[in-house]
Amino acid sequence: MAPAPPGYHGCYLRIDVSDGRVERVPLPETVLRQFLGGSGLGAWLLLEEEGADRDALDPAAPLAFVFSPLVGSPLTTSAKFAVVSKSPLTDRFNDSLAGSGFAVAGKRCGCDAIVIVGRATSLSTLVIDDDRIRIDAADDLRGATCRAAEATLKARLGPGYQVASIGPAGEHAVRYATISHDGRHAGRGGSGAVLGSKNLKAIAVRGTMRCEWAQPGALTEYSKALSKRSFGPATAKYRELGTAANLLTFNRLGVLPTRNFQSGTFEAAVDISPGAISETYSRTRASCVACTIGCEHIYARENEQGVRLEYESLFALGPLCGVSDPDIVLRAAGLCDDLGVDTISTGGTIAFAMECVERGWLNAPWLQFGSGDAMMRAIEMIGRREGLGDLLAEGSRRAAHTIGHHSIAFAPQVKGLEIPGYEPRALQTMALGFAVGARGADHNRSGAYEVDFSDKVDRKHVTLDAVHHAIDTEDKAALMDSLILCKFLRGVFEDFYAEAADMLRLVTGWDATADELRDTARRIVHAKRQFNLLAGWTPDEDTLPDRFLETPLSGDPEATLSREQLGSLVTEYHRQRGW
Amino acid sequence: MRVEFLGIPRERAGVADLELEAETLGQLFATLAARFPSLEDVIATDRLRASFVANINGDRFVSDPRTTLHDDDCVLILSADAGG
Ligand code: SF4
Repeated sequence: MAPAPPGYHGCYLRIDVSDGRVERVPLPETVLRQFLGGSGLGAWLLLEEEGADRDALDPAAPLAFVFSPLVGSPLTTSAKFAVVSKSPLTDRFNDSLAGSGFAVAGKRCGCDAIVIVGRATSLSTLVIDDDRIRIDAADDLRGATCRAAEATLKARLGPGYQVASIGPAGEHAVRYATISHDGRHAGRGGSGAVLGSKNLKAIAVRGTMRCEWAQPGALTEYSKALSKRSFGPATAKYRELGTAANLLTFNRLGVLPTRNFQSGTFEAAVDISPGAISETYSRTRASCVACTIGCEHIYARENEQGVRLEYESLFALGPLCGVSDPDIVLRAAGLCDDLGVDTISTGGTIAFAMECVERGWLNAPWLQFGSGDAMMRAIEMIGRREGLGDLLAEGSRRAAHTIGHHSIAFAPQVKGLEIPGYEPRALQTMALGFAVGARGADHNRSGAYEVDFSDKVDRKHVTLDAVHHAIDTEDKAALMDSLILCKFLRGVFEDFYAEAADMLRLVTGWDATADELRDTARRIVHAKRQFNLLAGWTPDEDTLPDRFLETPLSGDPEATLSREQLGSLVTEYHRQRGW
Repeated sequence: MRVEFLGIPRERAGVADLELEAETLGQLFATLAARFPSLEDVIATDRLRASFVANINGDRFVSDPRTTLHDDDCVLILSADAGG
């Protein structure tokens, strides 16, 4: 095997859990330079492994845990990994990222990625201890929450292990099940169901193999300076308030999706705002390893387990379902974490079901907008696919096809992935970002909302001028997800591509330039699309549900997005991408 | 006109909103900077620092200090990275 460039091990582990066969597959330097790591390298691996052709839950379908050149370096927010596979929710490309110690320990197993295929004979844990790899029985963990499974395995395996696990939802193939590590989740698109389909409850990693850095002294100096900058105003919101602070801002701007996107404002937003929750809960902060920002705000009552609360969980389990009781919202977020389900897809699917009940199309009269108890009951049922939960575990798109009545018109999804907390009619650059996203509607793969929250566009009357801005944010996200750096750091960079090139030079020794990385970002976006094309993508998928294209936002007649308008934005997007 | 602070600007100002008189956005920021030294992180003389944005009446995002304001306008000041 040719020597790996600094920052890399130059190979990936390919593990068939059907028979325990392990290969260390070389990764050529040209591939590493072209796709970097994280989402980018994951896309390349999935194409190599012909993952587009298989059903997402077919045991032969590959599931990749991908690290990056920056993982393990002193660069702040770099302790992250990507989980990449075909999504059982969208049947398209899916990449979910999470922090923290799992990334560092996994890379120290001497690989740049772990690709898993096959299906273990019974529920198991894949244990990777440096270059010793085994499959342990995990039948006793059946039904365990993510948190319990991780704690049990860490106690059982001994010091130094980092664990990523699924909860009951992953075992039951809920199509938006997560993979959890240290309370964080590779959350979107159902990677937990993919791990469950391989009969794996968890992966435990421990390693001692470190990479070299090309310029260790300069890298340390650069990292110190970057950490210092990360304490500045660009990250103050994340540090001091957390993303939950978005709630009141979005409500004020009329872009807070409420009652299944029937409104952009929620009359009880103040009741579930972080300020109101802080009156009865104590708030502490936490962070991923190797992070100087610490965006996690954990709310707890005395002697109770704390709950990490993000804006997306707050919006999806609050306004989207019409729920205004902060206790319920926090308990619901904690329950989703325990069961291992994506809060956005959970809230979106339940809100959709609530509207179907309201219209008399779904026989579950207990499931009403505003009923926190009903929402909690629905989450429990989804996590174990019990009763109505079996239908809702399929996500809103599949549920709509079963329910009929053309309810697909208001199923809040793109390509099957439920829409995050940004009202597309009033944030029309974001509407484009949602429509064209490779993994469906997502705010982490397209930061187009930033364009809407600026004077670059008129967010309710967006024109073709917005398209290149949307492309810029998507490219930048692709690069951040491949290097990998946390997006909450993005505001500290004046010229992100130039600084990313600096970091990559210090880590790998490559003579990378800003222009090269712009090309790299585009290459990665193209690779995701290539996967989708092979998986059967058609242009019709790049759109929004009829509700957004046929009905103005309630109470805001200016927030209107016609089918023709979105169509021309999408066409221009495809043209500028050269597709 | 009315000024509303959201998120970090509200934390720094210590108030949620207030009434002010100003003919332009630049004047408004200068007045706020003089009245609230704690907004130093947020306002640089007559404009917002890069991490913050202003919006008029919940509709239009503005940054040009010469932007004309009207008595019945409501200016929102918030973090630029409104996502999460
Ligand atoms: S900012 Fe938050 S999500 Fe990002 S690395 Fe730090 S703690 Fe993790």
